[in-house]
Amino acid sequence: MEILATRNDKGTIVAISGKMDAVTAPVYEQKLRELIDGGETVFVNDFSRLAYISSAGLRSILATAKILKPKQGTLMFCGLTGPVRDVFEISGFGSLFPLHPSPEAALKSIG
Amino acid sequence: MLKDRGIAFKLILLCCAGCALIFLVVFGYSYRFSRAIIEKDTRQRAEGLALNAVYRIETILNSVENVPEGIASVLENCSLNRAEMLRLLRASVADNPEIYGAILAFEPYGLDRRTRTFAPYFFRHDGGIKATDPSSPAHVEWDWYQVPKRSNQPGWSEPYFDTGFGGTVMSTYSVPLYRTAKGRRSFRGVVTADISLERLSDIVASIRVLRTGYGILLSKKGTVVTHPDKGLIMKGTVFDLARERNDPRLAELGRRMVAGGSGFAPFPVLAAGKTSWVYYAPVPSSGWSLAVIFPEEELAEDVVSLHRAVIFLGCAGILLLCLTVALIARSITGPLRDMAAAAGAIAAGNLDVELPPARSRDEVGRLTTAFHGMKTELRGYIAKVAAAAAERQRMESELGIARDIQMQILPRVLPPLPPRERYDLQAVIEPAREVGGDFYDYFPLDHDRLCFVIADVSGKGVPAALFMAVSMTLLKAAAREGLAPDRVLAKVNEELSRDNEVNMFVTVICGILDTADGTVVFANAGHNPPLVVRSSGGTALVKTDNGLALGVLEDAPYRCESLRLEAGDSIFLYTDGVTEAMNPAEELFGDQRLQEALESLAGKSPGEIASAVLQEVRDFAAGAPQSDDITILAVRFRGAVPPAN
Repeated sequence: MEILATRNDKGTIVAISGKMDAVTAPVYEQKLRELIDGGETVFVNDFSRLAYISSAGLRSILATAKILKPKQGTLMFCGLTGPVRDVFEISGFGSLFPLHPSPEAALKSIG
Repeated sequence: MLKDRGIAFKLILLCCAGCALIFLVVFGYSYRFSRAIIEKDTRQRAEGLALNAVYRIETILNSVENVPEGIASVLENCSLNRAEMLRLLRASVADNPEIYGAILAFEPYGLDRRTRTFAPYFFRHDGGIKATDPSSPAHVEWDWYQVPKRSNQPGWSEPYFDTGFGGTVMSTYSVPLYRTAKGRRSFRGVVTADISLERLSDIVASIRVLRTGYGILLSKKGTVVTHPDKGLIMKGTVFDLARERNDPRLAELGRRMVAGGSGFAPFPVLAAGKTSWVYYAPVPSSGWSLAVIFPEEELAEDVVSLHRAVIFLGCAGILLLCLTVALIARSITGPLRDMAAAAGAIAAGNLDVELPPARSRDEVGRLTTAFHGMKTELRGYIAKVAAAAAERQRMESELGIARDIQMQILPRVLPPLPPRERYDLQAVIEPAREVGGDFYDYFPLDHDRLCFVIADVSGKGVPAALFMAVSMTLLKAAAREGLAPDRVLAKVNEELSRDNEVNMFVTVICGILDTADGTVVFANAGHNPPLVVRSSGGTALVKTDNGLALGVLEDAPYRCESLRLEAGDSIFLYTDGVTEAMNPAEELFGDQRLQEALESLAGKSPGEIASAVLQEVRDFAAGAPQSDDITILAVRFRGAVPPAN
């Protein structure tokens, strides 16, 4: 798994590639926690190059969302495809977070 | 070879070889240098002795020469009568102990016209002075008379053996006498003094160079005058000897000597087998030559004996050095050998082996100390590893027990109600680890209705297993209250979401089969949608309106859905361990393959379906490690119960 965070005037785009499983999910969680500690509150997770996500990955997303909640932060997702989109749909996570086709669309949604 | 030998051997060999080399170089230099010094010293000594002897001989000769010269002067300037002449001559011999004898010989009628012969001779005999008859004729034909007469010069005669009166080897200094009359100087006779060469022999014999070095005296013509070997005296000249021996070098040496030269030269062999050196110097007044001869080998004698001692001391020193080096090497290699043995024992696993104590603070001592430390560390480390292994074993056995417990809380036997002939059910579970987060459950709600549950806790292992136990208990409790599936999920979600600090969640399908008519009412909380395997053929993915997984969000909404099974139809529920099983190429098994597998299983029993799907998944994985728990629950409806009459 590789994480590339790009700061934008509206928020931070976090592009994740590879697989997000029990081994790599804590890395994602740690990275996002650092960004949040740095004052970031708006995140767009770009999953367009994420091939697979396991329940451990979902757990990390959930943990991150819970940290953001009291800070009135936003965790958005875009570019979900294939198995990742299926997992989001099946687990109901798709209804829990805003999903967008692209980072631009996601950032646009917050006006 | 050297590299196979011990350190002690190498040290001894290298040290001693090095020392021996240094010793040889120093020895060689010292030998050459000291030999040169001794040679120079000996030469100087020989030269000194020779010149000293020459001086002493000269002194004697000069004192002897003065006597006849004095008499001649008196006779030429004073008019003495016979008696006065005899008295003068006698006193000359008596007062000069160097003089053996003296003669005053006049030419015939040289004294006066009346006396034909006047040749008085005084000589020493038996401690006194004897005289011959002055009128008896003298040997005027001999050199002592003829040479000064002819040359008008005083001079020493060749040594000769006096058979007349002396009976000894003598040399005579002759001074010519002249008479001056009417302005004319004419030869009148000769006055002489004899010297016994025995006196000179003593001086020459006192020359001692080295052990057997000696001096010789040669006459003007090369006759051997003195020599330690008496048999050679007056027996001939050095040239006779050179001819006899056919030795041109000896002849050359003789020529240089009689010519009055001086210097060093290798002395041609006289004493057999010995190379000798000679220093020669002239005795100016007589034209004789003195030579000092010393054998070369004696030159080296002191040097050789000195260096024999040096060699002995050197060898003894090297031997001592060997012993010292051996002791030092042993003191180093001894502990090293002990340590090597100890290291071997430690390598073989014996950590209780006694290590040699550190006796010093040198490198070996430090090594020993480090070795002690290493052993202690190693022992501690091994103890830790052993403890960790024991701990691990304990945990493994605990996990094994936990697995047994987890398997026991999963139902294995169908309940008596609803009646068995109305349905078939098969559930299988294969945890990826000892314990897992997947579970299934089924239990009767009443005579007709069977509740079934399949669930997947996020994550794996012990945390998932604990969460699973809680979830399963809550689900069963809620379902037994007779709540509808959506209400069951909502209730359990409330419980799990509250204070869910670990952020774990569980996806669940909770369904209720009415075995009387095949109706299935179910609710889905984030789980993979079930499939229906129709007995008539064909498999359908049940589109569900998925709620959120339990434990994620309080107040999440859940909805009930329903479907109807015809006789022989099966509902197939599974966890993502099936569709997300990976092959070595890291491809997922996927929904497509699952659906295709089920297509061919129409009308089969749940047991056959479950084992066939499992086999498909195993074949697909082709030995790749199972990463997630795999659970399958299949329920087949046998057929509607005819309405009771």
